[in-house]
Amino acid sequence: MTVLETLLSGQLLFAALVTGSLYALIALGLNLVYGTMRMLNVAHGDLVMLGAYGAFAAFTLLGISPLLAAPAIAAVGGLLGYGLYRGIFRKILAGGSSTTAVRLESNSLLLFFGLSIILQNATALAFTPNNRAYNYLDTVYRVGDVAMTGNRLATLLIAGTLCIGMALFLARSVLGLAMRAVIERREAAHIVGVNVDRVQWLSFVLGFGSAALAGVLVSMLGQFSPFSGFPFTIAGFIVIILGGLGNVMAGLLAAVLLGLIETYGVALTSANMRSVLLYGAFVAALLLFPNGLFARRAAAR
Amino acid sequence: MTKPQLSVRGLGKSFGGLVALHDVSFEVAAGQIVGVMGANGAGKTTLFSLIAGNTRPTAGEVHFEGRPITGLRADQICRLGIARTFQIVKPFPMLTVLENLRTAAMFGKARIHDPHEADAVSRSVLQEVGLAPMEHQLAATLTLSGQKRLEIARAVATGAGLIMLDEVMAGLTPTEVAQMLQTLRRLQSTRGFTLLVIEHVMRALMELCGHIVVLHHGELIAQGTPTEIADNPQVLSVYFGDQK
Amino acid sequence: MKDLCPNHGWTLLWITCLTCLGALPFLANDYLVGVGLTLLMWLALTQSWCVLSKMAGYVSLGHVVFFGLGAYLVVVTWQQIPLVLAVLGAGVLSALVAALVGLPVLRVRGPYFVILTFGLAELVKYTLTWIESASGMASRILFGAPDLRVIYFSMFALALAAVALLTWVGNSRFGHGLRSLRENEEAAETLGVPVVRYKLMAFVLGAAIPGMVGAIMALRSTYFVVGQVFDPMISVTVIAMAILGGGDNARGPLLGVIFLTLLSELLWANAPLLYMVILGAILIVFVLLVPNGLIGLLEGRRAAASASAGKPP
Repeated sequence: MTVLETLLSGQLLFAALVTGSLYALIALGLNLVYGTMRMLNVAHGDLVMLGAYGAFAAFTLLGISPLLAAPAIAAVGGLLGYGLYRGIFRKILAGGSSTTAVRLESNSLLLFFGLSIILQNATALAFTPNNRAYNYLDTVYRVGDVAMTGNRLATLLIAGTLCIGMALFLARSVLGLAMRAVIERREAAHIVGVNVDRVQWLSFVLGFGSAALAGVLVSMLGQFSPFSGFPFTIAGFIVIILGGLGNVMAGLLAAVLLGLIETYGVALTSANMRSVLLYGAFVAALLLFPNGLFARRAAAR
Repeated sequence: MTKPQLSVRGLGKSFGGLVALHDVSFEVAAGQIVGVMGANGAGKTTLFSLIAGNTRPTAGEVHFEGRPITGLRADQICRLGIARTFQIVKPFPMLTVLENLRTAAMFGKARIHDPHEADAVSRSVLQEVGLAPMEHQLAATLTLSGQKRLEIARAVATGAGLIMLDEVMAGLTPTEVAQMLQTLRRLQSTRGFTLLVIEHVMRALMELCGHIVVLHHGELIAQGTPTEIADNPQVLSVYFGDQK
Repeated sequence: MKDLCPNHGWTLLWITCLTCLGALPFLANDYLVGVGLTLLMWLALTQSWCVLSKMAGYVSLGHVVFFGLGAYLVVVTWQQIPLVLAVLGAGVLSALVAALVGLPVLRVRGPYFVILTFGLAELVKYTLTWIESASGMASRILFGAPDLRVIYFSMFALALAAVALLTWVGNSRFGHGLRSLRENEEAAETLGVPVVRYKLMAFVLGAAIPGMVGAIMALRSTYFVVGQVFDPMISVTVIAMAILGGGDNARGPLLGVIFLTLLSELLWANAPLLYMVILGAILIVFVLLVPNGLIGLLEGRRAAASASAGKPP
């Protein structure tokens, strides 16, 4: 294929949109969790991975279709988020500038890294470290030149709808506004009467739940292993850095952009380039915004 | 005055559309104690940050002991002999009080390479501010008053010729304010440095300073002796509204 | 005895360790020498990591990048230049890379620095993987590598150098400047510490030794795959060892290295996944509950938390 043919390929566009919609869903969840916690949750992608394994187990062991299992798995994810919030983070977030909280912020990354390692390897212990996959919604639909498998279509539809739905919720509803307020400036939100505690656990529930759901979708699309969660974390952070923390609309655009870069980039070069592109974008984003995501609001802390 | 120690000319700082400081000019002679007065947001701390090199000015120049220092880095300016404290104290929390000063003695104007010599210098400063008994305590464990004194002690330990104090009296009880005034006067007379002091506590300003500079909305609106300032109609109208 | 003369206890420990490790190749079988080699490798890696990450507080999750680059250099110049030159060159290359990327990278603070270093290391890994596969080399095999004992004593020298480096930095004025900027970078700069220059120096100093360590380990395994020598778990293990040990001088890493090397020897053959889970748990437990590590527990809160300038290793 010539470069031009590649760029105009409807097939690739479809693939890019599917990837982009997944990234958008994952980034949205990460936005909520990270925005509330202010700690770099590098284990977010592993939640996606767990969702994938949940769907896998449901399908291969219980015969339940992933689409049916999805709500349940998302609910479990949400419950996990709620439990973690109530159990650990509520105290930390309310702690203000106690020495534990301050020390935790700077070491929090290592904390989540440790969690990530445990999740990955515990899953490998349970399911073996090898790649897993299953076949579902395999039928191919053709529209013109573009071949779309059912599972990819479903992913695009579900992820896309959820993203737009969540974006509307955050932008239009009172509760959504409250959530964005807490993400942007917690103390101020508290002062104007927002029930910060409720907003925070809701953010956790939605954030974890959406990650788990994304995992179910991922499991339909191809192979996955206990270690495939991490690239999603990286993608999620790229989207947030590029789109800005708490800025849902920009995040959606950034996610689609990332999907496009990755898909077309790989098509134009080789499959090995996928990670080079991803991490290249990641490093570039961090170097361009050395204050991380708080460049625009340095006083947020 | 004969060659001023510090000379600020047309100094200005804008953050995008916000003008924090505009066309500020004044001079400070060696050994003076000069007060900087103004409401919150008047640009006082910005002025200090510009002089000390924590931020770069968008206009104007600063000269210290005859040489231009505009745009130099903070560590370079410290080595030349200007030290400052921060309004919100910035101790080295997990280092001891002595170690906090050791940094100042080693890297400030004094540039003492030998740690023992640096510690000796530090100890003498600690003695004068009353922190000597806390020498081996972690800075994080000090009270606010103690941390403020630590902040001042660090600045002094650099061996600087010009020390800028940013609201060191804030949050202190009247007794502590009196003690602080005493300490500052004592330090200044034994070591002979110039003091530039931002203060809201009027009593401290009036008692300590021989010369006062008044900022308002980023501009210098008056300067003079404490009495002159107290009678200055512009200053009065800014603080108390128009007097008829 | 520890209370009466705390330093003597440590001196004894150091001498014992060094003597045992030094004598190992003459007394033990190849397997044990291998374990000793692994221990020396981790010691060199962790001690050099501490120069930037413990002293200046810029926690790097990308330490493996120098290790990998060193290994890559040896492999790529195999039998084209004398080995000694390749190993030394690995150190120089790593220091150069650190000098080059240091300025932009060190502008990034806190947790962002951590993931940035991680991302950089992964970027280098995937780029080299792509280059290798594009030039048709999935893996390389090295024939004619030096004897195990030569490798062992080279690593011994590197470990010693790393300990000496960290100790020297810790007791120097430079080290005090690093500690100050770790505690509060803006205040340190205002007090005259040339923070940008010092951070860069620490980064470069800490980069040379892992480069040479990687070069030597490439000789050990003789089978080279990019993914292995740039494995991020190497960086994570270094951090775990340093956190487990605690403190910001050479003592903590010694404890952490010994403990985790022995643990991994016990578990790696039969339960490598379990070992990883334990590693993750150690990170969590020590970051949350035991921030000053084993050193903190041993020497009491004050000694571990404060600077340890003037202390022997």
